Amino acid sequence: MTLTLKMKPKTYDFYLMVLTSAVLAIIGLVCLYGIGYYTYTTETIPQWTQTPMYGNYIDSMNQYIYPFVVLLLVVLGLCIPKRIVPRQSLLASGIGILIVTILIALVTDIGTSLAFLLAVSIVVQTVVMVLTMLGRGGLTYEREGYFVQTGSSMLHLGTVIFVLDFVSFRTSDLHLSVFWVATILITVGTVLSFYPDEVGRVVRLLQSGGGNS
Amino acid sequence: MLRIKNPFYCIKIIQQKVSYQEYLAARESVSTLGQPIITFIFIMALALGIVSIYHILSSDMRTYQLSAQLRKISTVLLVIGFIIIAWFHLRIYQTIELVYPPELANYMAANMGVSATSLRFAVPLWIETEKIYFWTLCLSIFLTVTNFRYDFSRTKMTALFSSSLNIMLSIFMVFSYMVNPFKEPLPGLHSEITGWYQAAGAGDPNILYGALYQLYFRIIYFYNSEYMWTHPPMLFIAYASLVVTFVGCVFMLFRREKIFDRISYNHAKVGYLLLTVGMLIGYPWAVVAWEGKEWWWDPKINGSIMMWVLYSAYLHSRIYIKRRNMWRATAVLGIICFLSLVFTYLLTYIAPGIHAISQ
Repeated sequence: MTLTLKMKPKTYDFYLMVLTSAVLAIIGLVCLYGIGYYTYTTETIPQWTQTPMYGNYIDSMNQYIYPFVVLLLVVLGLCIPKRIVPRQSLLASGIGILIVTILIALVTDIGTSLAFLLAVSIVVQTVVMVLTMLGRGGLTYEREGYFVQTGSSMLHLGTVIFVLDFVSFRTSDLHLSVFWVATILITVGTVLSFYPDEVGRVVRLLQSGGGNS
Repeated sequence: MLRIKNPFYCIKIIQQKVSYQEYLAARESVSTLGQPIITFIFIMALALGIVSIYHILSSDMRTYQLSAQLRKISTVLLVIGFIIIAWFHLRIYQTIELVYPPELANYMAANMGVSATSLRFAVPLWIETEKIYFWTLCLSIFLTVTNFRYDFSRTKMTALFSSSLNIMLSIFMVFSYMVNPFKEPLPGLHSEITGWYQAAGAGDPNILYGALYQLYFRIIYFYNSEYMWTHPPMLFIAYASLVVTFVGCVFMLFRREKIFDRISYNHAKVGYLLLTVGMLIGYPWAVVAWEGKEWWWDPKINGSIMMWVLYSAYLHSRIYIKRRNMWRATAVLGIICFLSLVFTYLLTYIAPGIHAISQ
């Protein structure tokens, strides 16, 4: 902990990236396990998806994925707003939120605790996105530029909303509406992050065209 | 209760017989025109592969120039083949029309809330045996654009890189030849159309109405759905782009040259964007079309998520490529990502689940 706090910003960012990549890779491994389990079970019990075994499989996959989704959300929470809030406060609040999430899981269930974490993440990411779009808050990112920053914050907000949609709205009438909000944020965010120069050129072209008319 | 009025179809069946014969003629033409094209593609694949391997072994720039020419000819052949495929799909749309008798249409409207009067097949250009062909076509176009943007002849290493991409293309062309979309064009769809025509000719309205009823859902949720026109092509274009990323990552392992990273990253961006949007677009469709079916955590979905998170990790690690050891780590990750892509694609054929073709 002390070591982390003493790190240079570049080193801190790097380890956050390593942690993010590691969590993503572990989620990939869980999926690989799911492929193996599903295939093996179908070989041994061909109609198993028509039995309660399938429900148990879904539950177990969700349980395996949840801790890493939580970790990913916490890392996202530490990564994006790192320039708004001092790093020490951010780490402390991150750990605090994680503890509260675990406590809620112990008292209620994993779904409720994850919904809490997602709600907090959405608030944080929305604030970050608005500040970024307004060009305020002293935000600096690993890759500079207005469109990269805006795209990155939209992409991360979209990801959090996407996870929330699957955790809390899957049986709701709002499910697909929330899904499309997340999809638009993710898509626009990805385009802005990947092609900031091209987007900038298009915006300038539109502005100059609007000015001429 | 569905009440059947038999005479309705007397006139329609005569029309359908004519249109079915036209469809069969179009299918025959596709085979006649397409077989020589795919044979040329196979010959070009062998030539391109051999010349590119020879260039890698000998570093002879004349063979590099030759392989570039062969690649261009291959791309032209692939485009011609695709035009033939597109023409066949257009003919299917023009010739085959399923007319729903009023009593069946009313029955379906009253019981299922669907409006069925007449339907045509708007069949996407990347289904059944056409999948690999479309992927190969996209790859050849990506290579054309990449070769146009970067001058690979300027160094020995970049020329080797170009030849390696050509070898990948030749492998895909051989696969296209093996699958061969022209030999028996769209076998699954053909059996469905033939089944419907036989049902129409059987004279038993019960059989005909049963066939029309089943085909309605097949057309609406599969052939004519916006999903099939957007989700698969996005993924195939993404896959083609990520083939270039893979070759770039292999070269990054052996040689630390900025151009390999730049090409890998540029293609990973295209691939990742289309992969993300393509996968997301599939979801709302799945919710409706697979309602009540067991598709959560199905192997193909597991594989797709695995592939996506790995590419996310690759793009994250690439941000720190200038840091010590990150060059190699990023390259290794890029290679693992591509292996997961191939594995995910093959899952449709080797693993059970709702996406499986083997079942």
